[in-house]
Amino acid sequence: MNCLELQESLATAEDGSSLGRDSERQAHLKTCPECSALVAELNLIASSAIELRAADEPSPRVWNSIEIALRQEGLIRPQRPSRSLLPSLGSRWAWARWAMPVAAAVLIAVGIYVRQTSLPVQLARDVAPHAAVPNEVSDVAIAGLNDDDLLQEAAQQSPAMQAQYTDNLRRVNQYIQDAKGVVAANPNDEEARRSLMEAYQEKAMLFELAMDRSLP
Amino acid sequence: MSGRTIELVVVGAMLAGSLAAETHKDYRFNVGPKAGVSVNNPFGSVSVKPAAGNVVVINAVLYSDKVEVDNNLVGNRVEVQSHLLPGGDAESGRVDYEILVPSDASVTLHSSTGSLHAEKLHGDVTLEGAAATVDIRDISNAHVHVKTLNGPVTITNVQDGHVEVDSLSGEVTLNSVTGPLVQVISTSGGINYIGDFGDRGEYRLTSHSGNIEATVPGSTSADVSARSVRGEVHDDIPLQPKTHTWFPTNNGSAFWGTMGQATMSSTVVLRSFSGKIHLRKRNSK
Repeated sequence: MNCLELQESLATAEDGSSLGRDSERQAHLKTCPECSALVAELNLIASSAIELRAADEPSPRVWNSIEIALRQEGLIRPQRPSRSLLPSLGSRWAWARWAMPVAAAVLIAVGIYVRQTSLPVQLARDVAPHAAVPNEVSDVAIAGLNDDDLLQEAAQQSPAMQAQYTDNLRRVNQYIQDAKGVVAANPNDEEARRSLMEAYQEKAMLFELAMDRSLP
Repeated sequence: MSGRTIELVVVGAMLAGSLAAETHKDYRFNVGPKAGVSVNNPFGSVSVKPAAGNVVVINAVLYSDKVEVDNNLVGNRVEVQSHLLPGGDAESGRVDYEILVPSDASVTLHSSTGSLHAEKLHGDVTLEGAAATVDIRDISNAHVHVKTLNGPVTITNVQDGHVEVDSLSGEVTLNSVTGPLVQVISTSGGINYIGDFGDRGEYRLTSHSGNIEATVPGSTSADVSARSVRGEVHDDIPLQPKTHTWFPTNNGSAFWGTMGQATMSSTVVLRSFSGKIHLRKRNSK
């Protein structure tokens, strides 16, 4: 297995825990410090994403928004003076309110990773233009979320803004695709990598806005 | 009674009913230096201006009994939340705020459809909203952070600011905005910068498909690089071209050069994928 084949095998890995288990990968990783560092970083990102679910404490604004939702759903009394400190567990989309900030954080982490990781010299020499970068590890595989989740959340929470979210999602996905294309064509272009990071940042913001119950 | 008189009576009655539905509430908090003020108002406007002294004064207009205002002073931080009650919606849940804060206060505002406005402050300002119109002016020595989905953003007269604007499709206009870092990222909204790029700052304006236009006076000193992958790049100002560039600067899709005094110059990066980029000289009147 060479560097290119290892990169491609990473793109097909379902999650970070499966990285590095294959015997051919292991053999290559033992001899290639660049790829070994790459896999180590991906595993770190994957493990950090899991830890974020437990460690990421929502802001008071999120609690306030959850309380508004509870009031609207009639689960707490209208004039109750104290704030609920527990997230809604009964709501159909409760999981999404936790998962989306995690997804946003992971997308940002991917963007930072893509920016910071320099391609191995050997890879730059051997690889065809469209297979060079590790951003082929899909957003869905890393974050565990997809665009449909975002759109359903927007449809439920902000029906008046659903068209706006749909349109902006389409645009930001095109942004990411274009940025990926430029990075693939110019793998050593730091500006291109930064553009890709910014595109991911925009998508992360879209998720953040969609899950914020205080906003339409 | 004439038809016109009846009409006036009806309009008056409607107006009176409307006014009767509005409720004005005032709150006042004594705070220390560098206080924090946070306002979360799902539907309605928020306007923040400087107060005399270390006091936060909140004037809220509630448009129905379907919404209430929660407020709290925690340490040196004032938190305000518009609470939608059962049956409340975007119309009945509307609250408009006018808030006076110490000029050194840090302000965080969240809204959706209302306008967000902050002026004459030198504490950090963070404004966030989906379709909210954002207007920030006369800020100095502070961080200014803005996030919008499609709401337009206008920032005027910010000096020594650390300015970061993220907008998916809203138009962003910066007028006389300078500082160590001025960064705008947009997916499809246009970016319009009017000013002189200060000195020794980093200015980065990026849009995927929106147009970028920078209008600068002839006295501007800046290293300017502009590059559009699929759009056009126009430069009305003579630049001293860079002798060493790492990207091709021909075909009307990119340029890179220095205007004014290189020793005093800021770094200006204009990037787009399919939008047009235009660097133009401001006409003196």
